[in-house]
Amino acid sequence: MRPMLGLVLSASLISCASADVRQKAPTNADAAVIAEFMKHVDEYMALHKKLESTIPALPKDASPQQIDQHQRALGRLIEQNRAGAKRGEIFTPGMEQIARKLLADIFRGPGGTQMKREIFEEYQERDIKPVVNGRYPDEIPLSTVPPGVLAGLPKLPAELEYRFLGTNLILLDPHAHIIADFVERAIP
Amino acid sequence: MRVRCLSSWAPVCALVAIVCCASVAPAGPATVTSAEAARAPRAVAAAPAQDLELPNKPDSLKFAVIGDNGNGEKRQYDIAEQMANWHGRFPYELVVMMGDNIYGSERPQDFIKKFEAPYKPLLDAGVKFYASLGNHDAREQRYYKNYNMEGKLYYSFKAPKQDVRFFALESTYPEPEQIEWFRKELEGSNEKWKICFWHHPLYSSARTHGSETRLRASLEPLLIKNNVSLVLNGHDHVYERIKPQNGIAYFVVGSSGQLREGDLRQGSPLTAKGNDRDNTFMLMEINGDELTFVAIDRGGKVFDSGVIKPRQPAK
Repeated sequence: MRPMLGLVLSASLISCASADVRQKAPTNADAAVIAEFMKHVDEYMALHKKLESTIPALPKDASPQQIDQHQRALGRLIEQNRAGAKRGEIFTPGMEQIARKLLADIFRGPGGTQMKREIFEEYQERDIKPVVNGRYPDEIPLSTVPPGVLAGLPKLPAELEYRFLGTNLILLDPHAHIIADFVERAIP
Repeated sequence: MRVRCLSSWAPVCALVAIVCCASVAPAGPATVTSAEAARAPRAVAAAPAQDLELPNKPDSLKFAVIGDNGNGEKRQYDIAEQMANWHGRFPYELVVMMGDNIYGSERPQDFIKKFEAPYKPLLDAGVKFYASLGNHDAREQRYYKNYNMEGKLYYSFKAPKQDVRFFALESTYPEPEQIEWFRKELEGSNEKWKICFWHHPLYSSARTHGSETRLRASLEPLLIKNNVSLVLNGHDHVYERIKPQNGIAYFVVGSSGQLREGDLRQGSPLTAKGNDRDNTFMLMEINGDELTFVAIDRGGKVFDSGVIKPRQPAK
């Protein structure tokens, strides 16, 4: 896990240079919400690591089949261990609100239209319903996440990524290809 | 040595006029010269059917550059066919990849369709591919044996026999840890040639993405301070040779499968040469103090070429 909380408070929600949108400094209330979000991220990562340690490690010279098998094996374990997981368990309502506000400011600001174009350049379908604790759809390309968006969101450990799936902001576990949680219709 | 085009593409092969460079001044710029340098920024003249000239010395480092290639479509296969054709005459030993190596789904069959099948002649010939990851790539690609990343998102490697070191970065999530690794790795490198590659371009005249100024602010001081001579990027689906910036040569090679026609801004002050009309790849050769490059399109035409000198430590 990377040192995050300090980064969260300093780097998140402060600036978005590429969109030239100035975000307000986080309030104490925002900081508490973000800290809660990161706590849930840490909990997810602890589970991820515990489960990953139970399956053979991926070799550094893996075949595509090995990568796929490893990914699916870990995915199954996570699905089983988080059975019943619901939307909002990581992206808490407070965090969802912060993320929506941030993304609305970015996408409605200068450069927002261009960023949307980049996000949907490889796959134009917007009306997709992700499934919490479900596998990321194989047939849908991974979206780009513009640097301006990444700079505004709390930093994640290397084992998790922000991606867009349709207009939804998802928290993707790329090792398992599992959607850990998502913010519905995050792109205005 | 002169390399003749022997394939069926011979009628469209082009003469590469490699122009000698000015001698290298201390801490001087990486000089890029070309017969067509600084002319029309995006014009791609149809070169006449001629021969290719590259030094093609036995002990030189020969390599290819591709980017944004892995869509599995005909254009990728066309470029791959050209790469194989050229390999027969110019036996490069490695290929560096600028990212977006596999577009769309990444199931085992996709690795075949979008990588192993098009580049099979090169893989069979023992050519090693060294990948960087693009914004559309799953991070698990770093474990794929044919990308030679050894499980790392960012890494460096030395050329087999020559005084050259390559540095591959992951530019989608350029975390402070990576930047610090990069700084140390550059400072610890004594090689004459330091060549860096990653996905997002620090300089680009393309409309779709353009220059990544945030990334530039993080990386460029390190490149300048540590005598990096050459930076290779992709992301924008065009070819662009950037006019040297702070003495460093930059190329955008993001059209080895994808292509965004007409995406280059005409008259951009950054552009030394561009091609947004066809898919492209590059061949490079380092022989002592000279790096010779050619850029080639789907028809096998060399439409850009030149020589780069290594940057030297300040005295």
